[in-house]
Amino acid sequence: MARAAATQPRCGELHITDAEFDRFRDFFYRKTGIRFEDSKRYFVDKRLIQRIEGTGHRGFRDYFAFMRFQASGEEFQELVNLMTVNETYFFREEYQLRCMVSDLLGEVLHYKRAGETVRIWSMPCSTGEEPYSIALYLLEYWDLIDRVDVEIVASDIDTRALERAKQGLFSKRSVSHLPRWILGKYFEPAPGGYHRLCDDLRASVNFRRINLCDLNETKGMRNFDLIFCRNLLIYFDEASQRLAVQTLYDALNPGGFVLLGHSESMSRITSVFKVRRFRDAVVYQRSA
Amino acid sequence: MGLVKADGKPAATSKPSPRKYTRDLTGLLAELNDQQPKARRWAARDLVAYGEEAVGALCERLRTEPEPSVREALFDALLAIGGDAVVEGLIPLLRGEDAGLRNGAVEVLGQLPEAVGPRMEVLLADPNPDVRLFGLDILRDLPHPEAPRWLMGVLEQDPHVNVVTVALDRLAEVGTPEMTPAVRAVKDRFPDEPFVAFAVDTALDRILGGE
Repeated sequence: MARAAATQPRCGELHITDAEFDRFRDFFYRKTGIRFEDSKRYFVDKRLIQRIEGTGHRGFRDYFAFMRFQASGEEFQELVNLMTVNETYFFREEYQLRCMVSDLLGEVLHYKRAGETVRIWSMPCSTGEEPYSIALYLLEYWDLIDRVDVEIVASDIDTRALERAKQGLFSKRSVSHLPRWILGKYFEPAPGGYHRLCDDLRASVNFRRINLCDLNETKGMRNFDLIFCRNLLIYFDEASQRLAVQTLYDALNPGGFVLLGHSESMSRITSVFKVRRFRDAVVYQRSA
Repeated sequence: MGLVKADGKPAATSKPSPRKYTRDLTGLLAELNDQQPKARRWAARDLVAYGEEAVGALCERLRTEPEPSVREALFDALLAIGGDAVVEGLIPLLRGEDAGLRNGAVEVLGQLPEAVGPRMEVLLADPNPDVRLFGLDILRDLPHPEAPRWLMGVLEQDPHVNVVTVALDRLAEVGTPEMTPAVRAVKDRFPDEPFVAFAVDTALDRILGGE
């Protein structure tokens, strides 16, 4: 039976049939781990048609063969970028922050020596929302923060994003998921409807420019206990994913954890991490 | 206690440990056989910089490396280097008994289309059906425009039913309507295998869907 034919986008003669949608959906799932439900049909079809037209192909079949067999994988990556719309804001995927304070840090303290600093790496940190969210969560929701030192390192390849992160100036949309009382406690109003993060919190994140795929740049990044690497690997080709994951592994202390984005899976890339399912999140652990 | 202030200093990194080996090809090749898995991992990762010169040693180490995390670093180093020497070094692993090595080799070979392409027909004509199946596993992800033609060759000529049904499964993704007579003909080649009829119908549904 045809599914939701009336809602499928048509641009001129171009449209995606049910079988073509299934073929693409299965392929995309196998390559990325992202599965589109039928309810996403309009979203997927629209972007597929956009790329079919953008690459000058006559229809899905020609385009699919072109994309599927292109040795460089550039067109596949274009599709990934189109199909995975990302934005950053404070407390994004908060369930992982909850997992950090309720489960992960407790396990980390088990293998740390007394007085040893807990080290957290956030990347790509973009304009700073993620590492500052980690800092806020630790201060407000982790009872042991007064007894344990925590160092937060945040990195990105984009120096302009890093500069903005250091400035600590955030839009209304960026802070819209923060509880009002946290906004009032750690931010002050700034011109243009922006919110400025307090100096004390800005000073608690160490920003660095790092290219995760450059072995020489990442060699010094060691002895971390938690790594937030959300929504980055999905944008890498398979070879780069594998190299990046090796870097994460070497950057972690034995027993340390990696947190990926909700649509990402380490299991497709490597088997060296143990999958751990906690109440709030699934995370990946380097064996002790 | 609390959040450590950055104070504009670079993030603290691990203290450098004294090197047992020189950081050149000779030193890294020696380090590749160190007793410590951590040292072997780093040797594998650093050897990427030496390209083809390091391929033989990396492949050799794979055959005896017991530690999974080192094996992954070895495979990833070979993938990063790529090229003919890597493919020549990995194909023999497909004939081995170690499933982990075979799977690792398949994954890497599936991402080296230019070097694997010229060897695919030989691989798919191997006398050992298991090797032909591994060839089809490589084709599953290999971004190579000849893949449909190779699959058609398997469909038309391979005598082994398991190999042919796997080829049907692969064609369901990349097949085109012009291939349907050859797909249908598979039923006649294996009339006593009910699963083949099912696999053919499934592939045809996918290939012809929407026609």
